[in-house]
Amino acid sequence: MKFKSLLLAGLALSLAAGAHAKSVELLNVSYDPTRELYVEFNKAFAAHWKAKTGDDVTIKQSHGGSGKQARGVIDGLPADVVTLALAGDVDALYDVAKLIPRDWQKRLPDNSAPYTSTIVFLVRKGNPKGIKDWDDLAKPGVGVITPNPKTSGGARWNYLAAWEFAKRKLGSDDAAKDFVAKLYKNVPVLDSGARGSTTTFVQRGIGDIAISWENEAFLVLKEFGADKFEIVVPSLSILAEPSVSIVDKVVRKKGTTEVAKAYLDYLYTDEGQEIAARNYYRPRNQAIAAKYPDNFAKLNLFTIDEAFGGWAKAAKAHFADGATFDQIYAK
Amino acid sequence: MRNPTFRQLAPALTALLVLTPALRADELSDLRLTLQALEQKILVLERKQEIKDEAAVAAAPTTPKITVSDKGYTLASADAANSLRVRGLVQLDHRWFFEDDGSIQNNSFVLRRARIIVEGALGRQFTYQIVPEFGGANPAIVDANFTWTLSPELGFKFGRFKSPVGLELLQSDSWTFFNERSVVSLLVPNRDLGIVAQGDLFGGKLNYSAGIVGGVADGANTTNSDFDNEKEVVGRFFATPFKDSAGSPVQGLGFGIAGTYGRAKGTNGRTGGYRTDGQQAIFAYLASTITDGPNWRITPQLDYRNGSFGLLGEYVVSTVNVRPSTTGKLSELQNKAWQVSAGYVLTGENSSYNGVVPANDFSLSKGTWGAFEVAARYANLKIDNSAFPLFANPVTNISESNGIGLGLNWYLSKAVRFTFDYYQTEFERFATATPTTNPTLKNDEKTFISRFQIAF
Repeated sequence: MKFKSLLLAGLALSLAAGAHAKSVELLNVSYDPTRELYVEFNKAFAAHWKAKTGDDVTIKQSHGGSGKQARGVIDGLPADVVTLALAGDVDALYDVAKLIPRDWQKRLPDNSAPYTSTIVFLVRKGNPKGIKDWDDLAKPGVGVITPNPKTSGGARWNYLAAWEFAKRKLGSDDAAKDFVAKLYKNVPVLDSGARGSTTTFVQRGIGDIAISWENEAFLVLKEFGADKFEIVVPSLSILAEPSVSIVDKVVRKKGTTEVAKAYLDYLYTDEGQEIAARNYYRPRNQAIAAKYPDNFAKLNLFTIDEAFGGWAKAAKAHFADGATFDQIYAK
Repeated sequence: MRNPTFRQLAPALTALLVLTPALRADELSDLRLTLQALEQKILVLERKQEIKDEAAVAAAPTTPKITVSDKGYTLASADAANSLRVRGLVQLDHRWFFEDDGSIQNNSFVLRRARIIVEGALGRQFTYQIVPEFGGANPAIVDANFTWTLSPELGFKFGRFKSPVGLELLQSDSWTFFNERSVVSLLVPNRDLGIVAQGDLFGGKLNYSAGIVGGVADGANTTNSDFDNEKEVVGRFFATPFKDSAGSPVQGLGFGIAGTYGRAKGTNGRTGGYRTDGQQAIFAYLASTITDGPNWRITPQLDYRNGSFGLLGEYVVSTVNVRPSTTGKLSELQNKAWQVSAGYVLTGENSSYNGVVPANDFSLSKGTWGAFEVAARYANLKIDNSAFPLFANPVTNISESNGIGLGLNWYLSKAVRFTFDYYQTEFERFATATPTTNPTLKNDEKTFISRFQIAF
């Protein structure tokens, strides 16, 4: 009897404790230019989660070059979720550390890329060097700002967009390689991430054109003024698909699986898509995208699968040690 | 970082160019472009440096730290939670015996200690130490232990370590006033196997240790297994109540008491022997003697430091129950020892339980000599008269010794110390004692021991 009484008392206490609101903390490890997006999104999700469960959730953000951030998670940064610039960087979490399952992309719609973006040019007001398309970036005397593809996901999109443009225009991979080599000769500073490149171009006044995420370029106009900078839309660019995933090993250990999943699911809701669109990320929901016509440039886009056969092949051919980027940049 | 010189000069140069009528418009344009190109180059250089600085700051939290100093070589994680430190100790002695008729031992060099000390931390709670000894006849592990520190007030040490009893014995042998410890350290346990709880209470003013160990004979080390089924409880309290009273003459006063209590049964129990400062045997129980029953030690102890002056005093009573044979009558024997030693640093540095740090290292080019310390000691050992003749042979053993020591310590640096010590020990022997059986007893021991030591 005594044991039963104790057991019942214990259960009652447990239930009473369970009735209290919990406080949960998530760490979202993301790439460089998503700071503003996730500040707004985190606030909205916290309110949503509180209304749904009564629990308080605090989301901490970590930003940097996408490749560098992936390395950080592999090395032990306890990310509940990653929201990185490209699927290849998320793949590394499986390839190197088995932190997530191999088929992580199948767990969410649109290959776990809830929003997209593309690459455009940011130039100084009046476009003094007359930049119109990718060709102009390889001309002598043009200062091009782009981050380091070894550490930045955005830089990889930039590089591949330039390569594909040249390949289509000049007809071969060899010609594309020469073109990209010339372009990188015009790069005076290689930042480790996209936000660093924006600082180099916008705040330090270096270079004539910054190859930029579309959302970052619009943000610069908004923050620093359309009287100082303008966006040039190239004839062709790449459909960038930033990808998201929970980090299974971490959330299991921390007991945050449910809230981490809900966090990423919320990116696909109307509110999540609206927030993305407001921050110049192209929402998957076309009805919402249509509400923000001025936030997105109109241009021809190709996908990495079409042009390079996917991230694994592109990474091996261009960004692995000794691959084409090392070859052209070492020259 | 901007370049103010260039920024200040650029407008002036531009103005000069504009105002110079002799310059043609195209030349002016070329110069302007050159200026712009130069400015871009400077901006690029500045930005590259800025990126480098940012990368260094970002990398700092994860970059392991390597420290090389006279305290050893340390490799530590960025947060210092994990570390590996390698230290070393080498002591080369020369022993010179006077008036011994050449009968005790050759005057000789001795590699007294040669140790590589490996220690470090694993996480924030665990530290470890492994100390192999390469001095002496055979290599051996001196210390091998790890400590689990829950808080400054409570931690646990596991393994082989110095039993927390003797004050002089617990002091690192690198920094004792004399190159050989006194007879007091012969009556307390040396290294043993076991578990000890330890910590600092009242803001570090009271240090305590209490634990259970296998139990060893006086001055002896464990042989890596217990010699019987019994255990020994050890404990020590040491207070430094005035440690925070800056400027007070008693700030450096510390005192405490330590003891052991246990039972022993066997021929290898508490029947260890005693040695002189020159490491000559002067007392040993008969091989037939066995320990049987309770034994205990108690040792009040004191340490005092005031500027260049240091004093260390200790008294120990060691009690053991023995039988002359397995069926012989049980007797309780009580051996006692005490010592007072003092040192004074002639060159003005502070005396310390952890060694003297010279204000200036020895350097011929700078004309600096390091630090010099003089030291003196008096020590007494008294064997229980009841030990003779049933448990110890009066022909080959002394019953009491009184020894003085005079020393000069030269600290060439924190790590290097030369010591020059003269010891003279007077023996009280039985009338039946025969120097031919134990030549050490022929004369009082007079020995001069020099030590050349590096310890880091």
